[in-house]
Amino acid sequence: MSLLTLSNVSVRYGRLTAVRGVSFSLAEGEVLFITGPNGAGKSSLLRAIAGVTPPAGGRIDFEGHDITGRAPEDIARLGLSMVPEGRDVFGGLTIEENLLVGTGMHAAERGWRARAASELEAVYATFPILKDRRHAQAGLLSGGQQQMLVIGRALMTNPRLVAIDEPSLGLAPNITDQVYERLIALRAERKLTLLIVEQSSTRAMLVGGRMMLMRGGEILLDGDARALGQSEAMQAAYFGYGEH
Amino acid sequence: MRQSPALRSLSTPILLSLLLVCFALAAVFAGSRPFNQTIIDIFLQVIFVVGLYTFVGNSGVISFGHIAFACLGGYVAAWTTIKPMLKGGAMPGLPDWLMQTEIPYWASALVAALWAALWAGIFGSVLMRLSGIAASIATFAMLAMVNSIYSNWESVTSATSSVVGIPIVRVIWPYLIAAIIAVFVAWAYSISRHGLALRAARDEPTAAAASGIDIPRARLIAFVLSGGIMGAGGALYAHSIGIVTPDTFYLGLTFTTLSMLVVGGMSTLSGAVLGVLILSTLIQVLRWLEAGVQIGTSTFALPGGVQEIALGAVMIVILMFRPTGIMGNKELNLPMAGSEKAGRQGPEPQTTNKE
Amino acid sequence: MGSLLQVVFDALALGSLYALAALGIALIFGVMRLVNFAHGDVIAFCVFALLWPSTDAVAVVFAGNLPWFLLIPLVLAVGAALSVLSELVVFRRFRRANPATMMIASFALGFVIRYFLLMLYSSRPKSISLLPALSQPIEIFGARIPLLQLITILVTIAVLFGLTAFLRRTRFGLEMRAAAENFTMARMLGVRANRVIMGAFALSGALAGAIALILGSQTGTANITMGANVMLMAFIATVIGGMGSLAGAVIAGFLLGSIATVMQVILPPDARAFRDAFVYGAVILVLIFRPQGLLSARGAKERV
Repeated sequence: MSLLTLSNVSVRYGRLTAVRGVSFSLAEGEVLFITGPNGAGKSSLLRAIAGVTPPAGGRIDFEGHDITGRAPEDIARLGLSMVPEGRDVFGGLTIEENLLVGTGMHAAERGWRARAASELEAVYATFPILKDRRHAQAGLLSGGQQQMLVIGRALMTNPRLVAIDEPSLGLAPNITDQVYERLIALRAERKLTLLIVEQSSTRAMLVGGRMMLMRGGEILLDGDARALGQSEAMQAAYFGYGEH
Repeated sequence: MRQSPALRSLSTPILLSLLLVCFALAAVFAGSRPFNQTIIDIFLQVIFVVGLYTFVGNSGVISFGHIAFACLGGYVAAWTTIKPMLKGGAMPGLPDWLMQTEIPYWASALVAALWAALWAGIFGSVLMRLSGIAASIATFAMLAMVNSIYSNWESVTSATSSVVGIPIVRVIWPYLIAAIIAVFVAWAYSISRHGLALRAARDEPTAAAASGIDIPRARLIAFVLSGGIMGAGGALYAHSIGIVTPDTFYLGLTFTTLSMLVVGGMSTLSGAVLGVLILSTLIQVLRWLEAGVQIGTSTFALPGGVQEIALGAVMIVILMFRPTGIMGNKELNLPMAGSEKAGRQGPEPQTTNKE
Repeated sequence: MGSLLQVVFDALALGSLYALAALGIALIFGVMRLVNFAHGDVIAFCVFALLWPSTDAVAVVFAGNLPWFLLIPLVLAVGAALSVLSELVVFRRFRRANPATMMIASFALGFVIRYFLLMLYSSRPKSISLLPALSQPIEIFGARIPLLQLITILVTIAVLFGLTAFLRRTRFGLEMRAAAENFTMARMLGVRANRVIMGAFALSGALAGAIALILGSQTGTANITMGANVMLMAFIATVIGGMGSLAGAVIAGFLLGSIATVMQVILPPDARAFRDAFVYGAVILVLIFRPQGLLSARGAKERV
């Protein structure tokens, strides 16, 4: 059963069209990498899915709910958690406070405090460094630690799908390895569905799963990450050789 | 034969001036004193709003402080035109030479413009380094500062009590001419090299700074010019009613002026002028209703304050549904001048004959 | 000694007023980037809510006759209600507008409130006696301090502690602090935008109510423009404190209060009337050198 379905979604900023009629669906438990050069519309697509930039056209369904144009908080409450580009930690809040912000959405449910506490322990178990510095201001963390924090924070909302924009941006390769290692482990542990945006396809080929190539606001290729990554079609499409 | 864009945009101030002339003629033909005064108020308001537009429209920085320059101008009129014997009683602290000065109203307006422009230069050289919200709040502080000084400097401003005895000018023409001059000055500035640079900086600050535009300096030029217009307007305002107090030129006038600019459209000269004409008409109707209308045997009157409440409501509604104002980004143009935005990329203007 | 203590108390009392007002401005700015020009008029509205509408010169006290334990909550509630109402009716529609547009809209709203008061009560200042028991002086170390001044300071300290506890210890406070730092990110974590913004408006309005009580008992008059001066100082405090920083706003509020009080003492008698003008001038000068505010260093941002 497909968890997330996009039909003919487009995104516009004024006169500029960033995403042109994108359609795909994502099955439960799948890992999908969206790759493509700068300005391909990857981030705009994620922002549309998360409800930050309402789509100019098309329809987005998540778990059978039409979420097109819904508010970001409503979408988050349905179980779609977004980790935007640039590691948006709340710099003035402590690490623990950062993690707890997202648990409020379950405050109406019975026993949510106990569950939040156990979620917190689970995240700390995944990222022990966060536990060591739990009362430190999040703004003082290093880039890699901040990346772990925002991923942990997304997990605290107990999501079905996590969408991550460029988790490797600005990180040293060995730190990126760590972040991915954790992501893959989490996916197996929690049966998460992952939607990851990366500029290059190297990471997708290492991790495996499904990969799509975006360019000029459209999806050009869609297939198995390892098979696609080695194909010449991928290279040509990425750099746009075919058109010149 | 193609006209240059700058010359083509000349149709905007001409059309606006003709519109003002129509109002003046209406007043002459109506021949009623109160109506005459209403039209004078409209022309004064045109000067204020056009003055504010010269800075806000071109720089994109909201100023709450421009009425301070009108205040400076209004008191220049009091200092230079009241009969010396009257001045001594109300403002004993004036220096001797100023005490003896008695100049005609038009000269006082000119001196007021220079005086206000001087202070706009002094304040502006500090304020223009700020941008965005901090700049807006600082202009508000400037207004409060000027008001606080003029409300307390008993010996030269008579503090909060009214300064009376300013010669009253009741004919309509000086105000019309001043309003038309203000319109042409604002137009000439907005198509000048400095005006174009400032507009570029407003729309694309990074690109403008990268291409060598000194944004604080460009803003300062607009600030000084608009301060001068406000100063002249303030002096004429004083001559229209014969009295000044610091609170004449404070929050109330700031609100009216800003609302007219917002409703008309902040980024165009036509918006500034039309905003005045439209809102002034509304204000007149409301004033008339506040004064009471005879319906049959009973008099129907709105309570005082409805005027400002309605003005505020109109302003909020316009901001909600049409944040760029009634005119949006368009200037009033002759149909043949086409739909292009006036004077955006025009070369420096040829000297056009002003009034 | 006694006179020095008097200056300290004056500074603290004036600073308290500015700090409370600045907090009300900064709370709303933090969550929605709105410089709320209507805040001063909300303050005035709270005072007038105690009077029966009439355009006579003598105030007809109405709710003002209530005992203090009913009066205080009533005024705070009036402020909160008006503030929330302004968000529901006006500001909600400006969520996607730029800050300049919102600022002008709030300016217009302030005028609507002010002239609504004028319509009901006329523009003449009215004398009222609010909590008269507070005007008698008490003696501390040889200084005669008006009881009201002492209470103002204590109430402000209590409010600051209460607000700090609220922001640091409660779920809602956490969401509000997160939203103030990065509103979109907070929403992506399921924080409800409307709830947080309404909360900020309610708190800000209640603070306006507190200021109204202090100003009303201090001056003994109700005037439709009474909030304007405090609001302006509050704006300046929020700018100096680094826009949106609550701690910065409070510290800057006390700083302004101290500067004004000290100027009152050291300026020659002729120049004292221009105290506020000097303060505004000093602030404009400060802004040239630190346009981002005096206290806007990283990390100083959230400590309430």
